[in-house]
Amino acid sequence: MTGHDNFHSALVSWLKIILPLIALAILSTLFLVARTVDPSDAIPFAQVDIEDRVREPRLTLPTWAGVTDDGAALTVAAAEARPGDGSPSAEKLVARLETPDGGSADLVSDHGRLDPETNRLIVSGGVVLSTSTGYRIRTEEMSAALDRTGLLSEQPVTATGPAGRIDAQSMTLSEKSGQPGQYLLVFKGAVKLLYQPAD
Amino acid sequence: QGAQIDFGGMQQDTSLPVEVTADQLSVDQANGSATFSGNVLVGQGEMRLSAAEVQVEYTEGGGGIERLHATGGVTLANATDAAEAQEAVYTIASGEVVMTGNVLLTQGPNAISGQRLVINLTTGSGVMEGRVQTVFQPGASRN
Repeated sequence: MTGHDNFHSALVSWLKIILPLIALAILSTLFLVARTVDPSDAIPFAQVDIEDRVREPRLTLPTWAGVTDDGAALTVAAAEARPGDGSPSAEKLVARLETPDGGSADLVSDHGRLDPETNRLIVSGGVVLSTSTGYRIRTEEMSAALDRTGLLSEQPVTATGPAGRIDAQSMTLSEKSGQPGQYLLVFKGAVKLLYQPAD
Repeated sequence: QGAQIDFGGMQQDTSLPVEVTADQLSVDQANGSATFSGNVLVGQGEMRLSAAEVQVEYTEGGGGIERLHATGGVTLANATDAAEAQEAVYTIASGEVVMTGNVLLTQGPNAISGQRLVINLTTGSGVMEGRVQTVFQPGASRN
């Protein structure tokens, strides 16, 4: 390289060599100090749930809807449902029945089990049934027919309604015989009503 | 013509809780009307009203019970008196019981029968109307 007679050209020619070297050095530190990315530890997730589900298959937040023979819309939702061998069961059940005459009944319970022989849904554990006519019925166990509108509870029942507090041995909510579309809530067995007149 | 009857024993406070016991209660989901059937017994304070069937009629807002309509042979009794009839309507708010259909009222030894008996529970007074016949035991009032 011919010598340079002035300082400026010499400086530039040396810089042309030194500056790329510095750039190379900085570039290499990029890989030197970078944290090593370990591709194998991806997002951690719990194994428990998977083993549990593999061992016992279940549905979460299942819903089931259907219309009964007499035209009442029945929807059942649950927090969790298990197929169970033959008789599916569910936890935290919520069912709603809308009858053609405009009335409706809401059923809430802790457990539910589908009985395949009688094709009835057996709900148990803190069952609360509230009807559109203002009755709130509490019992331990109740069974609901899925093909037609029919709720039946053999266990002692306590209910609060417009007429006051009612206690009975059993209760059925079903279609009035002979009058389709008309529904009757019947309490049976030592029925006792306590009404406090609002004075 | 009617007979004024003193129903002293029948006087009571109509704001006492009303208790109805029966074999069955059926509630029509369409209009919410409730009917007790199967030896129904209505109790309030000392008063007992038993009938074969009692229909509950609600107040306008459906908040409470307006009237109890008892049919199929009704007996109304309390400590001293007893009245029998075919039908009875008990309006809770006004404390008025209207019994119709060959009413027979017995007060101790005396008996009065007629077609319609209106008892006001709050004042304890009663009016019997329609073919009123009374049977007095002569000399019975010596007790």
